Amino acid sequence: MLHSNYAIEVNDLVKDFGQIRAVNHLTFKVKDREIFGLIGPNGAGKTTSLRIVSTLINPTFGSVKVFSYDVVEDASQVRRIISYLPEEAGAYRNLSGREYLTFMAKFYTDSRKETNTMVNTASEISGLKDRLKDRVKTYSKGMVRRLLLARALMTKPKLTILDEPTSGLDVVHAHAIRRLILEYVDKGEVTVLLSSHNMLEVEFLCDRVAIIDQGSILVEGIPSELKDHFEVSNLEEVFMEAVKNAK
Amino acid sequence: MLSSLLNLVVKELRELLRDPKILIGVVVMPLILFPLLGSGMRVSQESVRESLQTASIGLLDYDSKNESHRLRTFITENSNITVVEIKAENIDEALNTIEDTNISSILVIPKGFSDNLTSGKNSELYTYSIIKGISLVETQKSGVVDYIINVFEYQAIIQSIQSAYPNRDPKEVLNPIKVSQLSVIKGVPLNVSPESLIGPIISQSTMLPLVIMMMLIFSMQIAATSMAIEKEEKTLETLFSLPVKRLSILAGKLIGSITVAIASAVSYTIGFGYYMSSVFADMPLGDLPLDLQSIGLTPSLLGYVLLLIVIFVTIVSALALAISLAVFTDSVRSSQSLLGFLMIPIIIPSIILMFADIDILPMILQVLMYLIPYTHTILAIKEVFMGNCLIVIRSIAYIAVFTAFILYVAARIFSTERVLTARMSLESLRLRRKKIK
Repeated sequence: MLHSNYAIEVNDLVKDFGQIRAVNHLTFKVKDREIFGLIGPNGAGKTTSLRIVSTLINPTFGSVKVFSYDVVEDASQVRRIISYLPEEAGAYRNLSGREYLTFMAKFYTDSRKETNTMVNTASEISGLKDRLKDRVKTYSKGMVRRLLLARALMTKPKLTILDEPTSGLDVVHAHAIRRLILEYVDKGEVTVLLSSHNMLEVEFLCDRVAIIDQGSILVEGIPSELKDHFEVSNLEEVFMEAVKNAK
Repeated sequence: MLSSLLNLVVKELRELLRDPKILIGVVVMPLILFPLLGSGMRVSQESVRESLQTASIGLLDYDSKNESHRLRTFITENSNITVVEIKAENIDEALNTIEDTNISSILVIPKGFSDNLTSGKNSELYTYSIIKGISLVETQKSGVVDYIINVFEYQAIIQSIQSAYPNRDPKEVLNPIKVSQLSVIKGVPLNVSPESLIGPIISQSTMLPLVIMMMLIFSMQIAATSMAIEKEEKTLETLFSLPVKRLSILAGKLIGSITVAIASAVSYTIGFGYYMSSVFADMPLGDLPLDLQSIGLTPSLLGYVLLLIVIFVTIVSALALAISLAVFTDSVRSSQSLLGFLMIPIIIPSIILMFADIDILPMILQVLMYLIPYTHTILAIKEVFMGNCLIVIRSIAYIAVFTAFILYVAARIFSTERVLTARMSLESLRLRRKKIK
């Protein structure tokens, strides 16, 4: 396997659902240890793109490589080095937080010691500590999201894919989640691909962004450079300008 | 692969058995509800019997001669019934007289009763049952008086025969032909009347299909709900992104649901068995109460093994069907409404075969019934008790082929992205039909 400098290489990606084209000739690359954001409105094709990168669904056309592994041909290898957090996902309500984390960790290792290490890491990341003994059904929405994010990061994946990581959370919880992501990326050797329709969130988190609308990338780059290029003060305005120019 | 599967099965069992709706509703409730129901039925039956035995009846004796006096004495001496004599010109007046009493029936002896009886003519009696409400006791009120009058009548007949044929046994004169009713079971003649088989036959032909039907319905609901929750909560999406084979996820779900279904089957069988034994405990069975073993209606060891296989393949196919359907929905509500369609091929054969043998049905209905795999489950269970192992094996083969097909379909669905992208509900089906029009 040839080593690539890129964590993700998306080439001419197309995804059709019957008559509907969700992703339209999408091409972008994500560098290793970078936080890359796909931003755009609802229905822009962000989730579909992330699902393809996560090996959940197959492309209609084009290719996606994760650390040089093809997401269709080498799906099982890809799954070993990624972790995916779907938008507004839940956890098993009748398991305790610790049981949930142990259940997830066991797919990555047969060693009890390694399992415990992963669970302890997740406990630290989530900050849930003693509450991990309680069943998930007793958790607030913010606690569930912290648990799931900790689950996604505890296995030290090479690539973490986060779909709308703060969706549905209030300001306080959303801020906590963003800090968690930043702290974890600073510490480890992880690449993050995230999607959001919250432009300010992406600006706060991402090294580079791609603005996507109707399945196609309108513009791609470092947030500060994009703002300078369009002579605007935030990414929201970058998006509006990019849409206007595309028309 | 195996450790992942075990991990998934343990998770599935924890999730299911910790859900109070499933644990209480499907496993614990049958063990409490059916025995309570049975005890309730028994207590009410005993109360009915007691209240009938200690009933009070009013007597309007317009005859007031030897035979009517003898009838009154016969009733008081041979039962616990209290006879209250009423003086009234007609039944309306009699009813006014007893308005605030606990008298439940009025026996009217018309004028000429004694004369007719002694001269060998037809004598008439009238019994009025006073219905005060809708209950079992009310409908059986007339039966108490009728029974005692029948005994009185029988004695009168015996006396008449004795006086006509003083040298003969009146019972022989009354019944010149004695019919002994015997049965042939599995080709062996047995000294057992078909009436005596009512109990075992009811328990086999009614109870078993009912238990199987309920067990299948509940376990399918559990499996479909479990899959629908995975989709609704997007935990399935998370699972599919982990380094685990999709077939292991399907197998884990099936094994977890099957384990709960078997626990539910045991619970239903114990609970329903207790209910049936409570309800039928005091029911007359013709001759003596029979146990299945004495008439050769218990399965052999091979029969029991086949019985387990039949139940197992049936549960697997039903659960695979429920899970396959649930993956096309995006919520628990949609999965439950679509599951209703799957209930039809389970409920119809269960109900039909509860009351009829498949051979007596019209040919077209027979063919349709034979096509439904769950018909074979009920037929196989019945045949296990009759010892027809070949028919049972044939049924198992049919259900197994169907199960293999369903598992193949479920595995195919699981290996495609449709498991994540499909969104089916009754509403979407209706919309699609409208578009086609």
